[in-house]
Amino acid sequence: MIRFILADLQRLQAGAMIVVLLVAFATALGMAVRIEERALRLGSARAADRFDVVIGAPGSETQLVLSSIFLQPSPLALVSGDVLKQLSEDPRVDHAAPVGFGDSYHGYPIIGTTAEFIEKSGFRIEGEGRNFSALSEAVVGARVPMAVGDEFSPQHGLAGQAAEEHHEMSYRITGRMEPSATPWDRAILVPIEGVWHVHGLGLGPGEEGYHDGHDQHHEHDDHDHDEEHDHDDEHGEHHIEAGHLGPPWPSDMPGVPAILVKPRTIANAYQIRGDYRTETAMAVFPGEVLTRLYATLGDARLVLTAIAIGTQMLAGTAVILVTMAHLSQRRRQIGALRAFGAPRLAVFAVVWSELLIVIGLGVAAGIGLGYAGAKALAILFARQSGMALPVTLEMSDLAFAGMLLAVAALIAVVPAIYAYRQSPAAALRG
Amino acid sequence: MLDLEMENVAVRYPDLPQPALDLPRLLVPAGSSLAVTGPSGAGKSTFINVITGLERPSAGAVRWKGQDIARLSEAARDRWRARNVGLVMQEFHLFPGLDAMENVLLPARFRHPRLPAGFRDRAAHLLAQVGIGTGRRGVETFSRGEMQRVAIARALLARPGVIVADEPTASLDGESGAAVCALLTALAGTEGATLIVVTHDTALSGRLDRRIVLTGGRCTGDSAMEAA
Repeated sequence: MIRFILADLQRLQAGAMIVVLLVAFATALGMAVRIEERALRLGSARAADRFDVVIGAPGSETQLVLSSIFLQPSPLALVSGDVLKQLSEDPRVDHAAPVGFGDSYHGYPIIGTTAEFIEKSGFRIEGEGRNFSALSEAVVGARVPMAVGDEFSPQHGLAGQAAEEHHEMSYRITGRMEPSATPWDRAILVPIEGVWHVHGLGLGPGEEGYHDGHDQHHEHDDHDHDEEHDHDDEHGEHHIEAGHLGPPWPSDMPGVPAILVKPRTIANAYQIRGDYRTETAMAVFPGEVLTRLYATLGDARLVLTAIAIGTQMLAGTAVILVTMAHLSQRRRQIGALRAFGAPRLAVFAVVWSELLIVIGLGVAAGIGLGYAGAKALAILFARQSGMALPVTLEMSDLAFAGMLLAVAALIAVVPAIYAYRQSPAAALRG
Repeated sequence: MLDLEMENVAVRYPDLPQPALDLPRLLVPAGSSLAVTGPSGAGKSTFINVITGLERPSAGAVRWKGQDIARLSEAARDRWRARNVGLVMQEFHLFPGLDAMENVLLPARFRHPRLPAGFRDRAAHLLAQVGIGTGRRGVETFSRGEMQRVAIARALLARPGVIVADEPTASLDGESGAAVCALLTALAGTEGATLIVVTHDTALSGRLDRRIVLTGGRCTGDSAMEAA
């Protein structure tokens, strides 16, 4: 009987192929939604793992986390420089690093921070390279296509919006970070003082990388930095010590968009979060914010899953229609089988198993297609954001495929019963 | 070898005012051969359906060797047909993708999870008897005459007590038709099976022991009665 079924499928390969494709695409859609959503959760959780507390100005917690940890370009209100100074001197804090944005280079965001942040946040410098130690030095992420020794001038504006270059400042790359599978792989890290300097926030002449006349530039620039840059302080007049990078910070500090804090203990983390939830500052645990974001993602997944189920139902209906149309063409064949003495149950089994084999092939192809699609999306996403999405096929996915197959087995009963109930005499009449 | 006794058999359909088949009495002795002729719509296919158990008559008894198959359930009729009837049809109903040997063995495969011993040898023997040298050729490559010969071999596989053929030569050319006629009658004789053939082919009906004519579902001519 198996030989008969296989011969039958071979004879009907065009129709079978259509059913396989229909089922494969419907399965792939559902599978890709599952895999991608899980990968996004895992990937974002891993990317946020090294950051315990983020402090910014009061506003959207999600935006603060997306901008400071996932380096999504968007304007953030500034938190006072005094907060950074206080945190740096707080005994409960292992280290606190500012994160300043505003410029980019060929689509790669330039992040102003401290050398200490690179050392203590788990980023490692590759081979011969080293951390930045001067205002005009930079360290690049693993996906930034620049080499140690290259020089560049930052472009004004966030990644994707950058236009003209800040010719008054140039950086030389001193080190390259090992891949971290996070958006920081696409970042160019420079001293925060460099970012302040580029935007005219009080660095005196004589510092390396400093070009005379930047104040004039600040006054006559066509672009209104006060409006466009998150880190421009409204009061404008700050004086960063020339030749000195990182903490201890001076008392008259410019504001920063965000501060990444590493508390010494978990208890300290909770205390800091409590202490810095004030009218002028907002402290968040990225993990908590992500959990809320996942809930939103979950809603999105629900919508996508509903779409996938809708597609699967449409595919299921199409499969039944194709099968029923095909069965009416096979009426005489089924009648002949019965006439030769094939039991009704055998006819049922032939129709049911043929359909199940075809659907099974479709589901199997759909698993592969969904996985490949999710993988391709993850590669594209990683190329754009730097964040690696761990695409994996898990037992739950196979259980999902098994469930689809079980539903298919039930659906396949419909045409099988139709064939079972057919009178052989009527079937032979055609 | 089976004898057939039909008594007060009537087949009625809801959309027809007259019965499609109305046979008060028909006896076909075991081992004999019968040709059924008649115009289109005379009830010949219904006659075949009723005597093979494919269709249950609205009334009457269809006894094969005393067993009234009209009283059997559908599943029991399927079993009875598989054991006792060898069917040869106008359109052969061979299954593409399977070779001649597998086509001959197919009905047995549907009945037996494991093919009974000797079936394969018998299939090869029957194929040789009908002139198909190798059973390993795909049936798609066969001529119509060859296909009908494979169908005859398939009908004989289970050593049926009765061979029922429905227009077995209608779709064949004269030469192939004559060969199939000769094969059917000769093999039915060799196998000791009762042979009932619905046909318009006078050459074929002339070879059989008896001829009846159906018109409007009734028997309007019977060579046995005329001879008497």
